[in-house]
Amino acid sequence: MHEFSAVTQMVELVLTEAQKQNAKKVLEVRVIVGKLSFLNPEQLRFAYKVLSEGTILEDSMLQIEEKEGVIECLKCGHRSGVPVEDDPYYHLGIPFLRCPKCKREARIVEGRDFTVKSIRIEV
Amino acid sequence: MVKVVKAEEGEILDVELNVNLQRKNLELAEANRRLLESFGVRAVDFMGSVGSGKTCLIGRLVETYKLEYRIGVIGGDLTTTIDMNLLSQLGVPVVQVNTGRECHLDANLVAKALRKFNLKELDLLFIENVGNIICPADFPLGAHRRVAVVSVVESPYVIVKHPLTFQTVDVVALNKVDLTEAVKADVDKLEADIRKINPQLEIVRTSCKTGLGIGRLGEALKLTSRKEGGLQA
Repeated sequence: MHEFSAVTQMVELVLTEAQKQNAKKVLEVRVIVGKLSFLNPEQLRFAYKVLSEGTILEDSMLQIEEKEGVIECLKCGHRSGVPVEDDPYYHLGIPFLRCPKCKREARIVEGRDFTVKSIRIEV
Repeated sequence: MVKVVKAEEGEILDVELNVNLQRKNLELAEANRRLLESFGVRAVDFMGSVGSGKTCLIGRLVETYKLEYRIGVIGGDLTTTIDMNLLSQLGVPVVQVNTGRECHLDANLVAKALRKFNLKELDLLFIENVGNIICPADFPLGAHRRVAVVSVVESPYVIVKHPLTFQTVDVVALNKVDLTEAVKADVDKLEADIRKINPQLEIVRTSCKTGLGIGRLGEALKLTSRKEGGLQA
């Protein structure tokens, strides 16, 4: 839903960095999107296409790497992926904040980020 | 002489950035928290769908605690001041943030709103997010507690459809329980769905109409009387 504002921030950052390097063109942008964020890769691509038009980012490739969520048990400290219950009723599994080892409460430690990893530019 | 190697014309370079765009909001949120704490102000952020009863619930809390604490309210909305007009009638300072088209408040907007208050004259700040149960979850504001307001009339699947939301809040208010019978809602099931997704959440059943659960919600937000050691940041 807020893909547009997220990509606006991203395009601004990439333009600033590309200008620092005197780039003529940006060929590729690599980003990491946490699976526990509310950002949808499909919509990120759409927003990117729209927002990069008329800039040196136009026609560049947006490479999106999705990062799995990681939870940490508040009790035993065990780290694991987010346990998911497969319910055929839903298209996506429902993630739980419960330690798969000791069944106690857990917190999210990874998977909520949106990171611009690197850019490929032509100088 | 220093030897300089310059990129050739047309050369292709890979530049590592590793900039976490979420980080910027988080840093601003942490700055908001520090600012609030330097004035001894405790803040609570309310998120929930349009019509879940956020404004009403905040109004009830203001009525309950305004003699005890000096309260301020920040309201997030796209374009109107309807909610904050209502709450200002309770005699507390309010600041409306109009996001224009944005679907959530962010830490920067809250930082701007904080400048409109005399923080020396506040103990407690309620922040009402834009009516939306999804996007605000990605944007911490610097509040000490975050509440999701869900009304029992929304849908029997409102919890399971938005699991990530319930993993970023501390308290859930199951609101409008006075309408449970009328809409044949299964509040126990909603509560069980929440517990499954995030077992450490505090869940409070509330009704703005009857006043049910308002005191319990205050306790969950650690707003108990000063004498009982309440309102700790």
